[in-house]
Amino acid sequence: MDVVEERPRRGAAGLATTARLVREARLSPLEVLAFIIFLVIVFLALFGPRIAPYPTETANPLLRLLPPSWAHLLGTDVNGMDIWSRLLAAPRTDVFIAVVATGLSVLVGAPLGVIAGYFEGNRRRLSSFVGEGILRLLDVVQAFPVFIFAMVLVAIRGANVVNIVAAVAFVNMPVFLRLVRGEVLQLRDRPFAEAARVVGNSDLQIGFKHLLPNALPPLVVQISVTVGFAILLTAGLSFVGAGIAPPTPELGNMISEGAKFMITGQWWPSLFPGIALGIIVFTFGVVGETVGRLLQPGGRPVRERGAELNVGAQQAVADMVQEKSEVR
Amino acid sequence: MLRRLLLLVPQLLLISIVTFILIRMLPGDPARLQLGPLAPQAGVDELRRQLKLDQPIPVQYIAYLERLIHGDFGHSWVNQSNVGADLALRVPATLELIAYGLLMMLLVHVPLAIITAARGGGTVTRLLKRLTFGYGLLAGALPDFWLGLLLIFIFFVRLHWTPGPEGRLGVAATPPAHVTGFYTIDALLTGNFNAFRSAVAHLVLPVVTLSFVYGAPIYKMARSTMTTALRSDYTTYAEGLGLPRWRVLWYAWRNAAPPVIVMFGVISGYLLGGAVLIETVFDLNGIGQYAVQAITTSDYAPIQAFVLVAAVFTVLVYLVVDLIHYGVDPRVRRTRKA
Repeated sequence: MDVVEERPRRGAAGLATTARLVREARLSPLEVLAFIIFLVIVFLALFGPRIAPYPTETANPLLRLLPPSWAHLLGTDVNGMDIWSRLLAAPRTDVFIAVVATGLSVLVGAPLGVIAGYFEGNRRRLSSFVGEGILRLLDVVQAFPVFIFAMVLVAIRGANVVNIVAAVAFVNMPVFLRLVRGEVLQLRDRPFAEAARVVGNSDLQIGFKHLLPNALPPLVVQISVTVGFAILLTAGLSFVGAGIAPPTPELGNMISEGAKFMITGQWWPSLFPGIALGIIVFTFGVVGETVGRLLQPGGRPVRERGAELNVGAQQAVADMVQEKSEVR
Repeated sequence: MLRRLLLLVPQLLLISIVTFILIRMLPGDPARLQLGPLAPQAGVDELRRQLKLDQPIPVQYIAYLERLIHGDFGHSWVNQSNVGADLALRVPATLELIAYGLLMMLLVHVPLAIITAARGGGTVTRLLKRLTFGYGLLAGALPDFWLGLLLIFIFFVRLHWTPGPEGRLGVAATPPAHVTGFYTIDALLTGNFNAFRSAVAHLVLPVVTLSFVYGAPIYKMARSTMTTALRSDYTTYAEGLGLPRWRVLWYAWRNAAPPVIVMFGVISGYLLGGAVLIETVFDLNGIGQYAVQAITTSDYAPIQAFVLVAAVFTVLVYLVVDLIHYGVDPRVRRTRKA
């Protein structure tokens, strides 16, 4: 392969660099599209409410349930609010809750996972006991149905943003704990970990400075999948009335508000938020997968774990399967 | 294996502790919560004594366990009904939905995965591969409750092919006599064909929604394990021997199946609570919908009962999965014996 150093003109430099990046990363058109949508979502989460053409939280009874038209691109909902405007504003609520909640899950789950994985089967009784204890406790937490568990948590504390974030974070935490534990378990006997031990690193240093960074690629994939799942969970909670309540634009409660009109033939209030929800979750999945692939040295594909979305428990499967194979 | 069965005891105990703590965490007095805001104080005090809420926490927990063992799940103040009886009525509705959903995944998703994992194939197979690739990308991202609404709009509102979201039976059909609680089976057993037709028609859309969304992880798992199995040396060897194609696929499938079985278990465990949204959309009056109603009305006994039942169910499903795994995969058996 010959390296042709042809410097692009100054103005086109940025574009050319991007193009080269895309080429070298071997992104498929689908992945490029996902990245573009991802940027749009981030933009909307930051500025969505400001660029909405109509007010997003003010009811106007005169404009109830108007079908899509040039004035109201996606029609209006039962309160006479413009659906397009609310769709632009909604990602702020959903994405914000999901991202913060997932961040919390990682912050709690990953360190616990390092500890559980590193000390599992340790010679010292106490350490081994801690590792084992974390896992058995997790089994019990995971036996509770995710959705209802989140609902009960919200019910206990009251339905506001903080409590929803806490509930979503709590139910997703085990996923990260298990994932990191599984990775650390595989990594801890590798030569580089032994080398780190030989030069005198403490257990914690090895775990957090040497093993955790190596668990990053699957972790990134998992984070984006979980953000997608957290968005679905938030929307689901709002759909049954245990999440974000109406005037605030949120995809789940928008679908819920339009649900009964689906049966009387007004399809637009529910249809569009659902499509938006699907696109967002899908995008997070693909972007995470791609970033995970790029982070992996040598571009090896990350295990086919990130491909599955939606069912929160499915990540546990990979680990259950993995555990089974460890038994062998 | 014995060790696996023994594990069940501490698991169940821990679950009961967690549900107990959850109840204690609810703001307010459990006795007051159970009787509702309108009950007189004297009655609340009486119930406090009955439930041993005036005793120290460990005694309360033991009393709680005792009530559970006697099948006493408490009383719903919103419905004025016994929670145990409510559950007995609603659990079959949910199980029926899940059972048919899983059956559909087994009959549609798994064969589809086996076909699309195989190399080559004619035009039909290639078309299938395209379609399923799109399906794999899409299905996991769609919210189930929204998909249900969409199907109602298309097949009920526009095409009039299916009944609307009016529950498990039409107005004209009389519910079949209670045998198993599954309307479809009970109707057949008692010869109530009118109810059978109605029950099936009312199940079509919810089951399709459920298996479309939650079948995706099963499909992907089956395809990926099957792909690996078909690339292995024993497949090449079997092909080299000139064995018929279905035979080769069968050998590969035997090796690819265990993770898929685990996935089936995880999905069914998840669905007991996760089918809530589908139940709500189609008004199936299942156990999840019951819990959601209880949560929105702060009706505390049903929530507690549901969380407990769901968790126990999940643990039992995992146990069954482990047992099946043990039966299917000889490698697991050998190491366990050693």
